[in-house]
Amino acid sequence: MEIFNNMILGFSVVLTPGNLFYCLFGALIGTLIGVLPGVGPAATIALLLPFTFSVPPVTALIMLAGIYYGSQYGGSTTSVLVNIPGESSSVVTCLDGYAMARQGRAGPALAIAAMGSFFAGCVATVIICLLAPTLAELALKFGPAEYFSMMVLGLVGATMLAHGSLLKAIAMILFGLVLGLVGTDVNSGTRRFTFGLSPLFDGIDFVIVVMGLFGLAEIISSLDHMEKKEIVTKKVSGLMPTRADLKASWKAIIRGTVLGSVLGILPGGGALLSSFASYALEKRLADDPSRFGNGAIEGVAGPESANNAGAQTSFIPMLTLGIPTNGVMALMLGAMMIHGIAPGPRVMIEKPELFWGLIVSMWVGNLMLVILNLPLIGIWIRLLTVPYRFLYPAIVMFCCIGVYSLNSSIFDLVMATGFGVVGYILLKLDCEPAPLVLGFILGPMMEVYFRRAMVLSRGDFSVFFTEPISLVMLLAAAILLLMNIAPTIRRKREEVFQE
Amino acid sequence: MNRKWMFGLMTLALIAAAFLSHPGSALAQSFPTKPISFICPFPPGTGNDVIARTIADKLSKSLGKVVMVENKAGATGAIAADAAAKAPADGHTIIIASTTLSINMSVSKVTYDLVKDFAPVSLVGMMPNCLLVPSSVPAKSIKELIELAKSKPGQINFGSNGVGGAPHLLAEMLKLAGKIDIVHVAYKGTNEVVADLLAGRVQMLFAPLTTGLPLIKDGRLRILGVCSDKRSPALPDVPTMGEAGFPALAIPNWYGVLAPAATPKPVVAKLNAEIVKIMAMDDVKERLANQGVESRSSTPDAAATYIKQDVAKWAKVIKESHVQMK
Repeated sequence: MEIFNNMILGFSVVLTPGNLFYCLFGALIGTLIGVLPGVGPAATIALLLPFTFSVPPVTALIMLAGIYYGSQYGGSTTSVLVNIPGESSSVVTCLDGYAMARQGRAGPALAIAAMGSFFAGCVATVIICLLAPTLAELALKFGPAEYFSMMVLGLVGATMLAHGSLLKAIAMILFGLVLGLVGTDVNSGTRRFTFGLSPLFDGIDFVIVVMGLFGLAEIISSLDHMEKKEIVTKKVSGLMPTRADLKASWKAIIRGTVLGSVLGILPGGGALLSSFASYALEKRLADDPSRFGNGAIEGVAGPESANNAGAQTSFIPMLTLGIPTNGVMALMLGAMMIHGIAPGPRVMIEKPELFWGLIVSMWVGNLMLVILNLPLIGIWIRLLTVPYRFLYPAIVMFCCIGVYSLNSSIFDLVMATGFGVVGYILLKLDCEPAPLVLGFILGPMMEVYFRRAMVLSRGDFSVFFTEPISLVMLLAAAILLLMNIAPTIRRKREEVFQE
Repeated sequence: MNRKWMFGLMTLALIAAAFLSHPGSALAQSFPTKPISFICPFPPGTGNDVIARTIADKLSKSLGKVVMVENKAGATGAIAADAAAKAPADGHTIIIASTTLSINMSVSKVTYDLVKDFAPVSLVGMMPNCLLVPSSVPAKSIKELIELAKSKPGQINFGSNGVGGAPHLLAEMLKLAGKIDIVHVAYKGTNEVVADLLAGRVQMLFAPLTTGLPLIKDGRLRILGVCSDKRSPALPDVPTMGEAGFPALAIPNWYGVLAPAATPKPVVAKLNAEIVKIMAMDDVKERLANQGVESRSSTPDAAATYIKQDVAKWAKVIKESHVQMK
């Protein structure tokens, strides 16, 4: 019954005009940036962060969360209509969604994506309600040793996540780790890799790295292949899916929701991984796998449900443990700190109105999105016809404002530009920036937790194996690593035998 | 077309004339002549920032010019202090300084001198740290805690919000003065330590009063002493460090508004008069109290003396405890 009381508390927080407005505002902005290629939720949240200082923390978080799941909705729109994934997590939606659009079935594709996302959002909200308190109980058992082992698992998961070359993914993670080392060492106060430059004493800001690697680099590389952009502006007819479509999709929606909910909780997983996993699963389970890529509605329904469920359950570790599962969560964490809230098990106990308000707002926001999204499609398409010569300078300007607003520092702008160039080079080399960002976030945290665990155990390494939670995580990481390496070894051996 | 050009030129000439006719030296009567930049050495949401925004809001109204808070975070405040020290000394640049800037002078190499490079306007607030232990630690007083630490040498951990911060240095002082063997565990920010304090992984923490208050009321944390000359109105039962036998630890965190050293005396006096009025306002007092800060004001001279003594106090502590940042 406590759940109901909590939900009532949550609704009482959300159903105020101010919070409803910010929820809608966040969801709308999220949809908008989801539609805009190259502008991700991370950059948008970073940009809007300073504007949230004047509102209460719960309102700020409701809006920022809205941006995040709103972008998951919006991302599917351009994937289906123009074959441009608005978000990295909607890449797979392009495969069958765009195929459906070419067959004149863009309406059902978009509708099923919205329905799947709404269903997944509802289920994920219930999961957070039921599981989050349990996780909070466990959270205090998480000491430095446990956190360290969990991050090892996360880093191993990050290498699995990359779909290109494993070697490049590892190189990117290491690059991220090195960047993360810049600044004052927490344990000793020693300054590392700062070259005596005082703006580097506190390390490189996450926003600077992301704005450069994602925002600026994306724009530079888009300019490379401008002429290829083909935008379908013909009218979308036949909005609703047929009975046969629904029959084909409902199982995929449920499977995608489950997959997304589970993977969303895991560090290094999140929405991106879950949409890929769901697509692979649907393809494997299908009677006729050859339909996939040629407009199979399950190929849209599953991944879209999965990425929305994952987007929402990734709030659980952030809210209850203070651990960000992805860049967006890291920013949400920062937002909470700025508002004087320590994310962790105590948030739920000390700020129940904030915790339950945020969770209920996700459900309300999802409802708003599904109602708003379908009529909005026509408007999004018109926005995409804005010439890129106007759109790109505007995006660059917003990035610069975002970076400058951090510390009123020109040096930060120069750094962001530098990261933009680096990001472009990495894109040209087929190196994905995502593992780099994960290394950048997890690396320094891992080091701090490792050394703190060492100080607390007075230098006894066995602490990582004698603590049960830590041991389980390390074993899981080892298994993941073996699963990753084993096929490679087998393939190598086969190659050797063939010779 | 020509007429438009003429009109534009005339407007420009009028603006230029308005500037030129203005007295060159920034006298108190004419101050402020333009928006004032109020530099904050820490990010939005921190104590310094909240206090600066509270003052800026009131000061904008009373001076009739916009007072803009500019967050220049980085290098634990050194970037902002350096920028403020080198700004034109006409009163249009001021900074919200605090204890951290005093400590920086001795703990790391900095390019500013808090005593020589600044003309203090007024102190604006005080916030004492307090000594917290989790309920799992049996000690009910500082004396019992010292005894406990002596019976378990090298086994008690103390947390801090970072190397070379006031909470770290206060614990180092207690370690020296109480002749106890305790181990420092550094964290990034007070919030992180509190989780490990609750779990009993670290057994002591110096932190601002507001940090622990809800948990103290919950009975999960216990407060053993306040680092101040007098007891806190919020917790009248808790003894000061002086009462507990460690008067050297009675160094509260201070906040003050400073201007560059060469700022004309009349300008400083005008700013001081306004800030003294602001700090006495009820809503200002309340906003500061929410942050655990007691609203204060002083004459420029008293602020200068206080800051000079504070820098000297921390220099002595840092010399004795050998804490350095390289």
